[in-house]
Amino acid sequence: MDFTAIVLVVSFFALLFLNVPISICIGLATLLSLVMHMDFTPAATTIAQQMAGGIDSFALLAIPFFILSGLIMGQGGIAKRLIECAMALIGSLPGGLALVNVMSCMLFGAISGSAVAATSAIGSFMVPEMKKHGYSGEFGAAVTASAATTGMLIPPSNILIIYAIASGGVSIAALFVAGYAPGILLGLALMTVCSLYAIKNKYPVTARLPISVAASKVFAALPSLLLVFIVIGGIIGGVFTATEAGAIAVLYALVLSVGIYKEINLKQLPSLLLKACETTAIVMLIIGASSAMSWLLSYTHIPQTISEFFLTLSDNPLVVLLLINLILIVIGAFIDMTPAVLIFTPIFLPVAEQFGMSPIQFGIMIVLNLSIGLVSPPVGSVLFVSCAVAKTSIHKIIKPMLPLYAVMFLVLMLVTYVPAISEALPRFFGLIG
Amino acid sequence: MMKNINLFITSILEKVLILAMASIVIVVSWQVFSRFIIQSPSSFTEELSRFLLIWIGILGAAYAYKTKAHLGLDLFVEKMAPNRKHKVQILIECLAIVFATSVMIYGGFSLVSLAIELKQTSASLGLNMGIIYSVIPVSGLLILMFAVDNISQLIKLSSAQEDIVKGEL
Repeated sequence: MDFTAIVLVVSFFALLFLNVPISICIGLATLLSLVMHMDFTPAATTIAQQMAGGIDSFALLAIPFFILSGLIMGQGGIAKRLIECAMALIGSLPGGLALVNVMSCMLFGAISGSAVAATSAIGSFMVPEMKKHGYSGEFGAAVTASAATTGMLIPPSNILIIYAIASGGVSIAALFVAGYAPGILLGLALMTVCSLYAIKNKYPVTARLPISVAASKVFAALPSLLLVFIVIGGIIGGVFTATEAGAIAVLYALVLSVGIYKEINLKQLPSLLLKACETTAIVMLIIGASSAMSWLLSYTHIPQTISEFFLTLSDNPLVVLLLINLILIVIGAFIDMTPAVLIFTPIFLPVAEQFGMSPIQFGIMIVLNLSIGLVSPPVGSVLFVSCAVAKTSIHKIIKPMLPLYAVMFLVLMLVTYVPAISEALPRFFGLIG
Repeated sequence: MMKNINLFITSILEKVLILAMASIVIVVSWQVFSRFIIQSPSSFTEELSRFLLIWIGILGAAYAYKTKAHLGLDLFVEKMAPNRKHKVQILIECLAIVFATSVMIYGGFSLVSLAIELKQTSASLGLNMGIIYSVIPVSGLLILMFAVDNISQLIKLSSAQEDIVKGEL
């Protein structure tokens, strides 16, 4: 391989292990590799330009909107109503509270784009509730963390927008629709494990609510769920773009939590806006820096070199796709999802396409794969938030996580080898050919 | 003195970011509104909102640097002895200074002057791109300032008492 590639990889990992912010790792490693090809001034200028150019996209604008609407919904009483709705629907099944936890995370994922937001909004209510009814806190934390990852696939999903950019223009609408079936499949699979676990540990079953009470709980959640129809319906129907849908989601969440539920007052708004700016900026700086790195990669033909290397390993798609998945799982354990998608999509997508995988299916696969990293030590951000919410520690949560990891891996394999799981719905809506 | 200037600049930065975020929501909502309700799609909103996003992204990066919110991999550093960890933390700040000065201040400034020299203007608002890009060196200067401040605090901490370092971390 080229010497540039070695400099890039070595300097990136050296900086990463030193705990330098990941966007700066990417930027400095790119600068170091680029000055081997050109003078310092054009190198620095190119990176600065790529940073601004990488962010300069109307599609990316959906990300701050879904971050902001997620923040508003987390504080605005919407999470609570979703939980009560799930409770009314499935609370009386075996392992009811764990199932409610999973379903609430899925519903929250269906209206917001962040797994961390889902974990803290749902977990902070559900884990204490589960503890009160005899479940262990560790199990509660493990269920919340793994269920929150369904929100990465169930639209709206910020990471799918980032993938759309990284893959060079896959339709966001098609990706959003493609995420439903795998997201729901993952949720159902997690629920199955929860039920079996609850039966085995003889957790108490909650009594069924009277129909009238249950109906009123479901009814109370309807305004929140209406958002799904506005946002996703609008995108699928071609009424507006994902970005415009994001702005609508912000306004809708504001009206709901300030005007109707009255759980947020306008004085809290500036701090929510600032928090959204902070989260947005972290993502945008990573996108900007990665855009400079991708430019360098294509400038030096590194992705082709790696693709060719993979093609020499095996010509069996089953083997190569498994290999890509295993590599991505290791990467996901160390590198956060956003930079991992940005860096590794241009490298692995061409390989997967060689073996007949569509960019839509690859997008769902890489996001589901890296979701496992979100809930794995040493750096899984969702796992940490969930442990913090449940007031437990990482090494105690691993044991109840094991069956849930197994289920996630199983669903990953299904998504990898059965294209229809990702592609049937978008094809049905005429979003892909 | 230095601390006051730092606080003052941070509070201005916060206000600019809050304003930009509020504007971006309003601008894109207006885009939808103008298309459906008053049936005359506005032409400037898409470009304006993209530029606001660049500003939020790059200026916000300086703010996130200040609040230490950027993602890193603290796995190995967390396991180091306090003394060594302290040195690594100063090194990280220095590396951030290298990035801020070389790419953001120097590269960003060269990008701005290039855009002005070539009279690069945006398609619909007719703004010189130099104005948009100027956020890069500005944010670089802010990161430089925050990093220098962090270093001075790290040094102060170590010279005062070794065990405070332990406690703070």
